Amino acid sequence: MTKDIRRPTRRGLLTAGAVGAAALSAPSFFIKGAWAQEKAIGNFPRATEGSSIKFGFVLPQTGAYADEGADELRAYQLAVKHLNEGFDFDSIISDSGLSGSGVLGKKVEYVVGDDQTNPDAARQVSQRMIERDGVIMFSGGSSSATAVANQYLAQEKGVIFMNGLTHSNDTTGKDRRRYGFRHFFNAYMSGIALGPIIAESYGKDRRAYHLTADYTWGHTQYESMKASTEDQGWTTVNNIMTPLGAPDFSQYLTQVLNSDADVVILNHYGKDMVNSLTQAVQFGMRDLQKNGKDFQIVVPLYSELMAEGAGDNIEGVYGTTNWNEKLPDAGTKAFVDAFVADYDRPPSQAAQTAYVQTLLYASAAERAGTFYPPEVIKALEDFEFTGIGSEGPMLYRGADHQCFHDVLVVQGKPPSERADQHDLLEIVKVVPRADIEYDPALPAFGGEQADLGPYEPA
Amino acid sequence: MSDVAKPVYAGADERGGRAGMWNGRGRDLVVVAIIGMVTFTMPLWLVELGGYEALATKIVIWAIFALGFDLLLGFTGLLSFGHAAFFGTAAYITGLSLKHFSSDVIPAMAFAFVGTLLVALFIGFLTLRRTGIYFSILTLAFAEMIHALVLSSTLQRWTGGDNGLTGLHYPTLLGMNLRGIAVFYFCAVILVIMFLVAQFLKRSPFGLMLRSIKENPMRLEYTGINVWAYKMMAFLISAMYAGLAGSLMVIYEPYVATKFLHWSTSGEVVIATVIGGASTLIGPMIGAAFLMYFENVVQGMIGEQWRLILGLIFAAIVIFLPGGLIDIWRVVWRATGHKLLHGRRHNVPDMELTEPRHTDPRP
Amino acid sequence: MEFNAFFLNFLTGLQLGAIYALIALGLTLIFGTLGVVNFAHGALYMIAAYAAVLISRSMGFTYAIFIVPALLFLVGLLMERGLIRWFYDRPHTDQILVTFGLAIVIEEALKWIFGANNIPFALPSWGSGQVLFYGLGATVPEAIPGLRIPMPGIEGFTFFPFWRLLLIGVSAIVVLGLFVLLQFTRFGLVVRAGMRDPQMVSHLGINVTQKFAIVFGLAAAIAGVAGVFGGPVTQVSPTVGLAYLVPSFLVVVIGGMGSLLGALVAAVLLGMASAFTTGFAALAVDPFMKGFLTALQQIVVYLVAVVVLLVRPRGLFGKKGVFE
Repeated sequence: MTKDIRRPTRRGLLTAGAVGAAALSAPSFFIKGAWAQEKAIGNFPRATEGSSIKFGFVLPQTGAYADEGADELRAYQLAVKHLNEGFDFDSIISDSGLSGSGVLGKKVEYVVGDDQTNPDAARQVSQRMIERDGVIMFSGGSSSATAVANQYLAQEKGVIFMNGLTHSNDTTGKDRRRYGFRHFFNAYMSGIALGPIIAESYGKDRRAYHLTADYTWGHTQYESMKASTEDQGWTTVNNIMTPLGAPDFSQYLTQVLNSDADVVILNHYGKDMVNSLTQAVQFGMRDLQKNGKDFQIVVPLYSELMAEGAGDNIEGVYGTTNWNEKLPDAGTKAFVDAFVADYDRPPSQAAQTAYVQTLLYASAAERAGTFYPPEVIKALEDFEFTGIGSEGPMLYRGADHQCFHDVLVVQGKPPSERADQHDLLEIVKVVPRADIEYDPALPAFGGEQADLGPYEPA
Repeated sequence: MSDVAKPVYAGADERGGRAGMWNGRGRDLVVVAIIGMVTFTMPLWLVELGGYEALATKIVIWAIFALGFDLLLGFTGLLSFGHAAFFGTAAYITGLSLKHFSSDVIPAMAFAFVGTLLVALFIGFLTLRRTGIYFSILTLAFAEMIHALVLSSTLQRWTGGDNGLTGLHYPTLLGMNLRGIAVFYFCAVILVIMFLVAQFLKRSPFGLMLRSIKENPMRLEYTGINVWAYKMMAFLISAMYAGLAGSLMVIYEPYVATKFLHWSTSGEVVIATVIGGASTLIGPMIGAAFLMYFENVVQGMIGEQWRLILGLIFAAIVIFLPGGLIDIWRVVWRATGHKLLHGRRHNVPDMELTEPRHTDPRP
Repeated sequence: MEFNAFFLNFLTGLQLGAIYALIALGLTLIFGTLGVVNFAHGALYMIAAYAAVLISRSMGFTYAIFIVPALLFLVGLLMERGLIRWFYDRPHTDQILVTFGLAIVIEEALKWIFGANNIPFALPSWGSGQVLFYGLGATVPEAIPGLRIPMPGIEGFTFFPFWRLLLIGVSAIVVLGLFVLLQFTRFGLVVRAGMRDPQMVSHLGINVTQKFAIVFGLAAAIAGVAGVFGGPVTQVSPTVGLAYLVPSFLVVVIGGMGSLLGALVAAVLLGMASAFTTGFAALAVDPFMKGFLTALQQIVVYLVAVVVLLVRPRGLFGKKGVFE
């Protein structure tokens, strides 16, 4: 007797006057004839009985990450269009089972809400979509905090959440949830991918100073960069935590200047990254020589949209991305062409992960033959496929719901080599999936205690 | 009781002295009945307005928050910019209790009550000797310190940092599950009780004293009244309302967001109170409902530019409805050709009343 | 802390304080003269930064230095005549709410036009580079470009961005200019008298309203200067206004409402407090101490505010009866 009851039942009871007792005495689930073994979970079957289904897209429309939210939304709209009208799905996801006439024969509609990059607002908006709009799946987000908040909500409500941009280990680490899935890569993978390449190019006897955004993602990014660079023989000189959203980093950069470090690693994302990088360049860190070596700046996670804001300062700076529009595979080409045709600009990695996540959910429902969440989850778990962004097969690992695919080490392009304003990053290396796979029970991912939770939420 | 107020303090309450059920307590009962009805049927009519059940719960919780804030701003004239400290502290304590101690809400709310009381005593003790904007900034500073500490890596192990406090047990009340509509009724009952309490305080000699403090604290001080103690009481009561709302927020959603401690939460409760109509008790609740409805429903209709519209609405309300949204009825009343029964009430808060602004006492 | 570190932290503190001061000066001027709590002051800074980046791209940075403050002066006049003047007699809560509403509108409008991301604001070529400070007897490698200044006590050499030193200088000039204007001109005399007793001044037949409108414009123009010189440091995005709102309010209150000297001292105080706690946090070795200092560094500006206001109820230089 824990399932929260739904509107029709409640309204009937309210009119009957049995107000307070209603919630406590209403039947917790109803049996559907055709799916006798399937309980009512979340919005199933209520929201799948009509001729259409709804997806909910919860993304930042205001605040610092509004532009990333806007790019995600473009991708979601494109994905819905493709699901309803058809596309070369197999280039994106092999054997997707997608027909191009909706999902399981039902037309796809969508609702959009603003998460303000704020976990509380994200949960409110997601609740609205789940309760009022009856979405069968929701997706989006541009921060790990909103991702974690939404995943817990997904588990409580029994509605699947497909993560957008979230790079913190916790999302598929200690906060992994049965109803949450992440296609985007994570801080740990960035560390493994980036470590060997910067060590190769900058030498093995470097001394690194970290500036780290003081929140969960920043900490995991710092830990993984520290581990992977120390594996390469680097020394970690120091780490300073910087408050999120600081407009001026000079007090932190001063400490770097005043140390014997010869590399600064900026564990910042988005606006923080743009600001700290720009200001590091203003502090002369790119022209500096320390310990007889050229001083270097590293940003473990690039955001292309934000990198635009850093102007020329990204030149030569190493980082990682989940995907890039210049990858040669057929899926990337098909997606980028469709995106450019509709929006006249290339998609960012945020757009790519949003698009792929939507298709992955739809494909899982098709392959499961039902919207019943536990079956869809099982169809996604340990799903191996080829397609967009990877040379070899990709895997949605069942143990932690992390998708494994190739990730990219990139370098900022000098202004003279840019074809247009969006052409900012040069792919240095495609790091194959095999190199970045790890044990889901690593301490950095919550250890043995990390648990996805049940298929059927209590 | 309200009749006592009239001759002494103009503007404290100008409505006493008329016959029938509209006199004093009779009218209060009608008001409470209406508020009770509107509240308890909210899940029904809110759905028709594009809302949903969880929103009704959130509105009720924020109504409690704004109600308590009005007791401080509207009646005592103290503008706190740091009420998020109490809302958030209670939310975190409730969350920690639900996570580590017991899923029952009674101990959780009791711990939160005690914790919030201690925090409020501490902050009140240090800030209430200050007045005006100095008081406002001090409360803001305390709240922001708590926010920064909860976020910082140093305390992250217990608070969950920016991910918030996750993995709480589902709240129960004496073994019953508190979920869905049950939470709503739980909160709604509390709201009505808290409204009754606020109404009682407003009519009591204590409430009268608070309004006198707002009007002229100096004069009261000279008559030998311990103004500070009254302010402290008002501050504590208001903090308790905020704490109660914070606790309920976690019971409604078993998750604690760091935003509960952020200054924007303090700001929202100021906005809700002022646009609703400070010192009217009902106004702030309307303001809270409006704000929550706008942020959650209208936002989805407008899309990207919703905050732009919200900013314009704030400005418009302050410009055209100085008494807040509750003044609408008066405007309508006048527009339909009726004469106002009473003069405009002093329901606009002011924090500048210690002394006239431009007199410099120095020679 | 060695002298090199101390010196760099000191310069950083001055530079942080310089931006705070430029925003807070206007705020406190508006407080002091007009009695208005202007929550849209951060938004004025933001408008200035956007205007500066657009003008410096199309015409060159030098033009921005002259055009932007003038433009902001007009924006200020417009804001005062169009909105603020209706709020002189209204409670502070109403002033706060209406200016906060305006701040949101400006922020969202800028986001609508220019997007939410940063717009790159490059330093002008003459403004980039470093200033080198070298100790007695130190040899500075020839290869490093930039101004060289001898500084006894420095070990070897160290450097600081030229632009940030310029910011400190600009801030000092603005403060000095404002002081001269208020102290030694007839306009200043009227404004100061108006701050004391506006009724008396208007009885003397002086048009206080007009003077006060100009004061608002002046405060906005100072935000304009802040936007031109601070923009390349803080970068230009729709959230930067709000990011500076709270600290600059702290500055105004710590200094004492309406006190220009107070705002200046408080700005430097907060800048120094931030810079040096970060400096000590960076030097800390003991994990507990480091954790403590890291947390302290995040709350230090608030802590300073609390301590100052507990010791001095009206801030450092506040007058009795003003904004209480």
